[in-house]
Amino acid sequence: MATLKPPSATTRSSSSSGTPTGPPKAPLKADPTATISDTVIFHGKHSVTIGAGTVIHPRVRFYAYEGPIVIGDGCIIGEKTIIGASPSSSSSSSSSIETPTRLSYFVTIGPQCTIKPGAHIHSSSAIEALCTLNRHADIGSHSKICSGCEIPERGSVPEWTVVWGSGIGQRRRRAREAKTPGPAVTVAAQVAQIPAPGPAPSGKVIEDARLMVLQKEREILGRMLVPAGPKKR
Amino acid sequence: MACPFPYTYVSCPCADTPIPDPARKRRSRESPQKSTPERTNASSGQDTQEVKPPHTQDEQDEEEEEEQTFDPRSPRSNFSLYPPEQLLYCEDCHQIKCPRCITEEIVSWYCPNCLFETPSSMVRGDANRCGRNCFNCPVCTAPLSVSTIENVTGNGNQQGPWVLSCGYCLWTTLDIGIKFDKPTNIRNQLQKMTDSLSGPAFDTRSRQGSRAFGDLKSPLSNLASIEEPATTQDGAEARFATLKNFYRSQISETSTSPSDPMGSDFGFSSPGALNRLMSLYASSSRLSGLYGGNKKQKPKPPVMREAINASEGLRIASEDGDASIIERLASPDCGWDGVASLSQRTEQSPDVRFSHDLLPLPVLLRTKRAKRCKSCKHILVKPETKPQSTRFRIRLIALSYIPLPTLRPLTLPSSSLVPSPAPDLNALAPLRPVHVLLTLKNHMFDPVRITLATPSVTPGRVASKVTVLSPQFDIGPNSDVWDEALQGASAPITTDPRLRAAEKVPEAGKVWDKGRNWTTVVLEVVPGTLPGSEAEGGKEGADEDELAVASQQDEDVLEIPVFVHMEWDAEAQLEQQNVGKEAKPGDLVARELAYWMVLGVGRITASL
Repeated sequence: MATLKPPSATTRSSSSSGTPTGPPKAPLKADPTATISDTVIFHGKHSVTIGAGTVIHPRVRFYAYEGPIVIGDGCIIGEKTIIGASPSSSSSSSSSIETPTRLSYFVTIGPQCTIKPGAHIHSSSAIEALCTLNRHADIGSHSKICSGCEIPERGSVPEWTVVWGSGIGQRRRRAREAKTPGPAVTVAAQVAQIPAPGPAPSGKVIEDARLMVLQKEREILGRMLVPAGPKKR
Repeated sequence: MACPFPYTYVSCPCADTPIPDPARKRRSRESPQKSTPERTNASSGQDTQEVKPPHTQDEQDEEEEEEQTFDPRSPRSNFSLYPPEQLLYCEDCHQIKCPRCITEEIVSWYCPNCLFETPSSMVRGDANRCGRNCFNCPVCTAPLSVSTIENVTGNGNQQGPWVLSCGYCLWTTLDIGIKFDKPTNIRNQLQKMTDSLSGPAFDTRSRQGSRAFGDLKSPLSNLASIEEPATTQDGAEARFATLKNFYRSQISETSTSPSDPMGSDFGFSSPGALNRLMSLYASSSRLSGLYGGNKKQKPKPPVMREAINASEGLRIASEDGDASIIERLASPDCGWDGVASLSQRTEQSPDVRFSHDLLPLPVLLRTKRAKRCKSCKHILVKPETKPQSTRFRIRLIALSYIPLPTLRPLTLPSSSLVPSPAPDLNALAPLRPVHVLLTLKNHMFDPVRITLATPSVTPGRVASKVTVLSPQFDIGPNSDVWDEALQGASAPITTDPRLRAAEKVPEAGKVWDKGRNWTTVVLEVVPGTLPGSEAEGGKEGADEDELAVASQQDEDVLEIPVFVHMEWDAEAQLEQQNVGKEAKPGDLVARELAYWMVLGVGRITASL
C-alpha cells in the first residue's frame, strides 16, 4: 500500500493547475468511477476521456498533443505506460491533423508500454509489459500482444490473435469456436473401436474466464490504488 | 576472444598425455614461413636459452618434451585451457581434471517441472519425457498448466473438463479440440486419446489414401498377398510398429535355412539368432551330410521383400493429398499463421504440417550426473540423488587445491617514472612496459610455496617480454578468518603496505602484497609489436592486410603462459599409510603440483 502512495511531488499531476511555464495540461473528462492515481500525468492540447471503472496505475503519462485520447470502460493501464507522443518527438506538420488514440472497453495494458498516437486498441485485448504499438497500429478485439513485442506503424492485428515471440514476433490465431478433435484423436478412436471423445467446449470459455479474472483484478486494484474510495475529478 | 580482459585460464595437463602429436609437427613445418625476419632479430637479443623463437623451439621440443613452453596459441591448447572454476581435482591421481578427462554417469532422471524422479527403467518407455502432468506448449514451448473450465461455465466446484493452457500465448488444448476428464495423469489420458499414433493423420489423407490404394491395386494385383488395407492404421506410430513387425518377420523368414550364413550371422533380430542356435543343435546329429546334401537342397535363399500394402505398414503418398494440403495452406482460415513452424515441427511427429495438429509436449527429463576420473575411476563429483536437493555428496573442485589466479593492471602514482593512467587493456601500446598484478589465493589449509616461471618472450609472432618480479613466494594457509584478525592486532604488517601503497614501486625480488591466504606479485610486460605495424619496421604506414590477418587470428591478444609449481605439506592419507608402515596419520607428506596457466592481459594496438 505504501509503495502505491503518490510521492510528495504531485504538482505535475492533473489535480494542479498547469503552471504557465510548464507543459499544457490536457482537459480531462474522467468517469467518477474511474480510479486514477495521483501521479498520472496528462499533457497536451487535446482532451483525454476516461471511461467508467477504468484503473490507471501511477506514473502513466498521457500526451494528447496530436489528438484526443479516449479510454473506454473497464480498462487497466499499467504503470509508467506512455500513451501518445511527447511534443519533442512529434513533428510540427502533424499538428494540423488530429490523430485520436482509442482504447475500447476491457483493454489491459501492462507496465511500461509505449502506445503511439493513432493507435486503436479494440475491446478485451491485452497488451503485456514493455510492448510498443507504433503509430496507427490497430489491435483487434480479444487479441493479446505478448510482452516485449512491437507492432509496426500502421500494423494491424486481427481479432482473436496472439502476437508472441520477440520484436514483431509470430502470430497465432486463438480458438474461438469449438474445434473438432484433431485427426490424431479421431483416428485413434477408430482404431480402438471406442466412441470419439465428446466435443470439447468452444475456446471462448477460456476467454470468458480471463475476462472474469480481469474484472476481479480491476475491482481489487481500485481499492488498492486509492484507499479512500474512488477519487472524484 | 569474447572474454573481457584480464582473464586467467588454467591448462589441464591431459592435453599432453597422448604422445603422437601431428598438430605440433605440422605447426613446426609452417612456422618458418610464418616468422618474419624481424621476429628473429627481436628474439635473438634474448640472453636466456630457456625460450627460443617458435621455429627453433619447435624443432627442439620434439627431443625435450619436458622443457617445452606451453603455447596458448597452439591448436591443442584450445582444448586444454579452462577457467579455473570449471576444473576438478582428483585426489588419487593428484592431478587437475578437466571436462575432457572425466567420465560422466547418470545418477537420476527427473522432470525439471515437477521435480519427480523417474526410475531409470521407465525412462525409455516414457520416451525420456515426464509421465505425469508436465507439458510444454507446442506453439511457444512455455510450460502448460492444468486448469478447469467448469467453474467458468457453471457450478464452481472443481470438477468437469480440464484443459492444458499456456499462460503466454493463450494456447489451450481446446485449440485442438481436446479436453481431459481428470486433472491427474494427463499423459496417459492424452496417450489414450491419440492411442497408437501420436502423429495425426489428416482425415483427408485417410480418405484419399484408400482411394489411391484402389487405383494402385490393379497393377499390383498379380501379387497374391495383397489385401484390402486397414484404413484406420494410419498413424505414424502404428505404421512404424507394423513396419517393424513386418521386417522382423521377413528377416526371420529369409534366414531360416541353417546353411545360409548371411541371414543368420547378421543377427538382425533375436528370432534369427535363435534359429541359428536351433539349427546348430538340430544339424549336429547329421553333421556329416552338412556339406554335401544341404547345399543342393537350398540353392537359393529366399529373397527378403519390401512392404507392399498398408497392413504391412506401407503408406502410399497420394497425389491428391498434396493438392489438398496446398489447398488448406492457401485457405484463409489457415494462412501463414496456421502452418507449424520448423522449430515446432522438430518436436512433433513428422506428419504434422499445421498448427492445428500440434500436440502438447511432455517435458523432457533432465539428469543428475556423477563425474569420475577417467584414469583411476575415482568419483570426483556426486550430487545427491533427490532432484529437489542442490547439494553434493562429493565435489572435488580444483579451486580447493590450486590457488585462484586473478589479474589486474597496476596503476602507479604519478610520482613514479612510468606515466600513471590506468592502461587500457583493450589497446596496449607496443613496446611500452605495463605492470600487472597477479594475485594467487590459496584455498587449502596448508601454506603453499609457489614458483612461477614464464618464458621471457611469449610464444607466437607477437613477442612480448615478460618478467615475473618475484617468481618464488609463499601463500599462507586458508586459516580461520579470526586468526588473522587477532594476529593483525600484534603485527600490523598486513595493513601497513596497503596504506603505503601509493609510494610503492614494483621491485625485483619483492612480493607486492600479502594477506592471510593470498599473495600478489608484479609482472612486468613489454608488449611486442604486431607484424606489419608501423611500430615494427619503421615502414611508413602499416601493412593493412597483415594487420587484419593478425587481429583476425587474435595474434594481437597478449597472453602469457605461466608455469606454476606449488609445494606444500599435506597430511598423510590412508594410501600412504599402507605403503610406508611408519607413516602415521598425523605425518606430513610433501606434495607438489605443477601446471600451466595462461594470463590474458590485453590486446596490443598496432600504433605506438
